[in-house]
Amino acid sequence: MSPGWSIEAEGLTRRFGDFVAVDDVSFQVEKGEVFGYLGANGAGKSTTIRMLIALLAPSSGRALVAGHDVATAPEAVRSAIGYMSQKFSLYLDLPVRENLRFFGGAYGLWGTGLARRAEEVLELTGLRDQADEITGSLPGGMRQRLALGSAVLHRPSIVFLDEPTAGVDPEARRSFWRLIRDLARGGTTVFVTTHYLDEAEYCRRIGLMVDGRLVALDTPAALKRTWVPDRVLLVRGRNLAGGAEALRAQDGVRAVEPFGAGLHVRVAPERWTADQVGRALAGRGGEGVAVEESEPTLEDVFLAVVGRGQPGTEAAP
Amino acid sequence: MSAGAGRPPSRARIQYAAVVRKEVLQTLRDRRVMFMLLFAPFIQTIVLGFAVDFDVDRVPTVVADQDRSVESRLHLRRVLADGTLRRAGEASSAEEGAAALDRGEAAAVIVVPPRFGADLDAGRPAQVQVILDGTDPNRSNTAAGAVSRYFGEESIRRAESRARAAGLPAPARVEVVPRLYYNPGLKSPPYIVPGIAAMLLVVVTTIVTAMGLSREREQGTLEQVAVTPIPATVLLAGKMTPFVFIGFFDVLLLTVAGTWIFGVPLRGNLAVMAVATLLYLLSTLGVGLLISTMSSNQQQSFLGGFLFTMPAMLLSGIMTPIDSMPGWMQVVTVVNPLRYFQEVARANMLKGAGFGDTWPQLVALALFGAVLFGLATWRFNRRAA
Amino acid sequence: MSLARTRPGRFVARVLAISWKEILHIQRDPRTLALALVMPVVMLLLFGYGVSFDVDHVPLAVSDQDRTEASRRLALAFTEIGEFSPVGGGDADRADTLFRRHATRAILVIPDGYGKDLARGGPARAELLLDAADPVTANQVLTKADAIALAEGRRAAGAAGLHASPPLQVKVSTRYNPEARSAVYIVPGLAAYLMAITAVLLTALTVAGEWERGSMEQLFASPVSRLEIVLGKLLPYLGIGLVQLLLILGVGTNVFDVPILGSPLLVILAGLLFLAGMLGQGLFISVVARNQLVATQAGALSSLLPSLLLSGMLVPIDNMPVPLQVLSRVIPARYLVDALRQILLKGNGFASVRGDLLAMLIFAVAIVALATRRFRRRIA
Repeated sequence: MSPGWSIEAEGLTRRFGDFVAVDDVSFQVEKGEVFGYLGANGAGKSTTIRMLIALLAPSSGRALVAGHDVATAPEAVRSAIGYMSQKFSLYLDLPVRENLRFFGGAYGLWGTGLARRAEEVLELTGLRDQADEITGSLPGGMRQRLALGSAVLHRPSIVFLDEPTAGVDPEARRSFWRLIRDLARGGTTVFVTTHYLDEAEYCRRIGLMVDGRLVALDTPAALKRTWVPDRVLLVRGRNLAGGAEALRAQDGVRAVEPFGAGLHVRVAPERWTADQVGRALAGRGGEGVAVEESEPTLEDVFLAVVGRGQPGTEAAP
Repeated sequence: MSAGAGRPPSRARIQYAAVVRKEVLQTLRDRRVMFMLLFAPFIQTIVLGFAVDFDVDRVPTVVADQDRSVESRLHLRRVLADGTLRRAGEASSAEEGAAALDRGEAAAVIVVPPRFGADLDAGRPAQVQVILDGTDPNRSNTAAGAVSRYFGEESIRRAESRARAAGLPAPARVEVVPRLYYNPGLKSPPYIVPGIAAMLLVVVTTIVTAMGLSREREQGTLEQVAVTPIPATVLLAGKMTPFVFIGFFDVLLLTVAGTWIFGVPLRGNLAVMAVATLLYLLSTLGVGLLISTMSSNQQQSFLGGFLFTMPAMLLSGIMTPIDSMPGWMQVVTVVNPLRYFQEVARANMLKGAGFGDTWPQLVALALFGAVLFGLATWRFNRRAA
Repeated sequence: MSLARTRPGRFVARVLAISWKEILHIQRDPRTLALALVMPVVMLLLFGYGVSFDVDHVPLAVSDQDRTEASRRLALAFTEIGEFSPVGGGDADRADTLFRRHATRAILVIPDGYGKDLARGGPARAELLLDAADPVTANQVLTKADAIALAEGRRAAGAAGLHASPPLQVKVSTRYNPEARSAVYIVPGLAAYLMAITAVLLTALTVAGEWERGSMEQLFASPVSRLEIVLGKLLPYLGIGLVQLLLILGVGTNVFDVPILGSPLLVILAGLLFLAGMLGQGLFISVVARNQLVATQAGALSSLLPSLLLSGMLVPIDNMPVPLQVLSRVIPARYLVDALRQILLKGNGFASVRGDLLAMLIFAVAIVALATRRFRRRIA
C-alpha cells in the first residue's frame, strides 16, 4: 500500500443473494482529500460505506482503511474512523453534551481530555449554547452538525459521511460544508456520499456509481471535460421560440431547452461557436440576443453518465 | 473518572463507564420506566402476597341437619369450629344443599341423616354425608379432609370407650405425629413471597433489556455504537449493569416488605441471597440480550421475552411443586434458571441454608449466566459484522 | 350501495375500512400472529400438564429404628401409594441439612418399640418430620398421613380379631369434577388468563408502535372520528381473541377432557364481552404510555399477574383479605373465570351468569369510552 492512500478498495463486491449491490469496485482516496461518492438511491453507495467501516463483510475483494484490512482488523479500522449515518442516530433523549461524552468514552477518551475535546467540538459546531439541551429538541441543521462533531470527537484520520445533509435547509447545508472543508484543511480525509450535485462541486474528486458499479472517478472539472464535451451556451433575448425550433433541427446541436426567460443550448464545439448560435437565433426573429458560454454542471455529467455509461458520446435522441 | 496524573484507566474501563453512564441517564430520564422498574414490583408483591393464600379456609358450607338432635347439633358445631369450613346456610335435604352448590352459594354440604343421634347412642353404625363442589380440587380435598378427620377421631374415641365399657382391650391405633420444620403455621406468604420476587425480577429485567436493545436498533443508534471500537462484551456488560443494580434494589425492597409485612423469616446468610441474585440477574438479562439479537423490532423482542418468561415461571416450581410434574417436564426444569433461584431464595430465607447447602444451585446459575451472556455476545458480533 | 349513504352506514363503512387496514398490517407480520395463536396452545399444554395441586411423588425418606414386621408395613403403607416416592438416607438427626439441600421433603421416623406398642393395642407412635416451607404440599401430606395412620390402625385392629365396623363413617360425594383433576379447574381460568394477556399486550404494543412511528397522526388528519378509529382497531383483535378462545376450548376438551355442559353460544358471548374489555384496556394503556417499552411493562403488570392471581383462577377469592376481594371486582377476568366454570363445568344457563356478563359489559364500555376520551385529549 502506498503511504499516500487513506482508503484503498480493490475489486470490492457485495452480493445479497442473487442481487449484486456493489460490483467489483476499485479506487483510492488520498490523505486529506474530500472524496465525493455519488449515485442514485440504491446505486450501492451505502453498501460501499458499510463495507469500508467494517459493518458489512465484503463478498469478495479487499479494502484497506487507514492501513487496516476491514475484513481482518475491524477494531483497528473503527478506532481510526468517524462515521455519520444517513439517519440521525445519536440519542435523542440525552442532552447534547452527554451524547458527546458517551461517544468520546466509546473511543477511549476520558477525564479532562474528554471534557476539553467536547468543548472544542461544541465550539467548532457552534452548539455551545445548546450543550445542555435535549438532543431531540434541536432543529435538523443543528442535529447534523452535532452528528458530525460526534464523528470527529476522537480526531479520526478519516470520516465517512453518508448523505449528511439529507433534508436540511440550504443555509444549514452551506454551513455544514464549511465544516467539512475545515476538517479537510486540518488533514482529515472525508469520504462523503450525497445526491445533491451542487454539493459535489466542493469535493476534490468524485466517484459516480450506477447500479453497483463505479463508472467514473475524477475531479469535477475533468469529469465535465470528458463526459460533457459540448459547448454549453446561455442565451438571453426576446422572441426566441421560433429560432429555437429551427436551431434544434440543425446538425451538431445537441440540446435546446428553455431556461428562465432564455435558452440553454448545447452544441458540438467543433461545429458551432457562440456567435454562430447567436446569429442563427437573431435571424429567426430573436431580438436583443446575447449569448454567453457557461461551464457544464455536474448535473449534466450525472445525466450523461446515467444515460450512456460511456464518456464523450451522445445518446441517441 | 478522575483527571488525576495517575495511571490512565484501561480503554475497556473507559468504554464500560461511558456505556453505564449513558444507560443510567437514559433510564433516569424516563420517570415512567423508573416507576415500572422500581415501584411497580413492590406494589405487586404486596398485593399478590396477600392474594396468594393457598391456605384453604372459610369454605362456604351448607348444613342439612335432618336429625336435629343434641348430638347432631354438637357435632355440626364442632366440625365447623376450626375455621376450615364456614356455615353459609341451612338446607332441609341433600338435594336442596346440592342446589346451593349449583348456584355457587356453597362449596360443601354436610348432611346429617335422621336418627343420627339415636343410632350413635344405640351403637348402630351412623353415617354423615358430604357433598362437595369438585371444581377446585384443592379446596374440595381440604374440605373433605376436615370433615373426615373430625368424624374419624370421633369414631376412634367412641370405639375405644365402647371397648372399655365391654371390658375389652382398646383397638390398635397408629398415630403419626408430625413435626413441622420452618413454617409450622403452614402460612402461604413466607413461601410465596420469595417466589413472587423471582417472577417479578424475570418479567422486569428480561423484557426491558430485550426491548431496550431492539429500540436502539430501530432508532439507528446501535449502528452508530457498532462503528465505535467498543467490543461487544463491554457494550453488553455496560448495558446490563444498571439493571443489575435495579434488580438488587427490587430484591432489597421485596425482602424488606416480605419480612415486615408478611413475616418471611430471614434465617440464612444474606450474602447467599446477594450472590444468588447477582447470578440470577446475569441469566435473566443474558436471555433478554440474546432475544434482542434474534429480533428485528421491539414487538418481536417483547413477544420473544414473553415466550420465554411465561413457561419459565410455570416450570420453575414457584407455583406448583416440581415433584408433582410429569417426568418430561421435570427434565425441562433442569435448564430453567428460575428454578435454581427460587430454590436458593426459599432455602436461604426459610430454612437458613448457606453456601454449603446451595452451591449446586449457585454453580448452575453461574453456568447459565456465563453461557447466555456468551451466546448473546456471539450473536451480537455475528449480526454486527 | 345505499348503506354507505346513511349516517350509521358511513360509520360502519369507516370502521370496516380501518379494520381492513389493521388486518393487512397484522398479515404483514405473520410471526406475531403465529405467536398469538400458538402461544396459548403451548401454554395450555404446559399448564394443563404442569399445574397440579394434587400431591404426587413427594420425596420421603424412612428411618426405621424398629425393624419389625409392623414397622415395615407402616413404611410400605406410605411408599406404596403414588403420593410419596421413597428416597434413601433417612437420618432424623440430619433432617435440617437434608431439607435445605432438597434431598427429601419428609422423613418418617419409626421409633424402636413401635411394633410392640401396636401389638399391645396401645397407641403406636411414629413421627413424620416434614419440610413445611411449602404449605400446600405440607397440608396435603398431613391429610394423607392422617388417613394412612387411621387405615393402619384399623387394619391392625382387624388382624387382632377386633374387627368391628367403625361406629361413625363419612361418605363423600363430589360433584362436577369427581376425579379432582386440576386441569378441569385450571382450563377455564387459563382461557381467561391467556386471552387477557394477548389481548392487552397485542393492542398496547401495536398502537404504541403507531404512536412511536407517527402513523397515528396521519390517521387523525383524515375525517375519521376517534370512536371509529378505536372500534376499527379493536375489531380484528377481537377476531384473533375469539379464535384463541376456540383453540383453548378445543385443546381443553380434547386433551384434558374438560366438559362443555352448558351452551357454547353463551361461552362465546362471555368471551366476546371479556375480550372487548381487555382490548380496551390495551388501547387505554397505549394511549397513555406513548412508547412500546412503557406500554408493554404497564400491560404486563396490569394484566399478567392480576389476571393470574386475583381472578380466582388459582386462588379462591373467598380466601383473600377483604380489600383484595374488593379489588378483584374491577378485574374482568374474575367474571369470565366464574362464568366459564359455571357454563362449562356445571351446565348453568344465562340466568345464573347474568351478573358476570353485565359486569364485563360495564367494564368494556367504560374502558373503551375512557380510551376514546384520552385519544381526543392527546391530539388537541
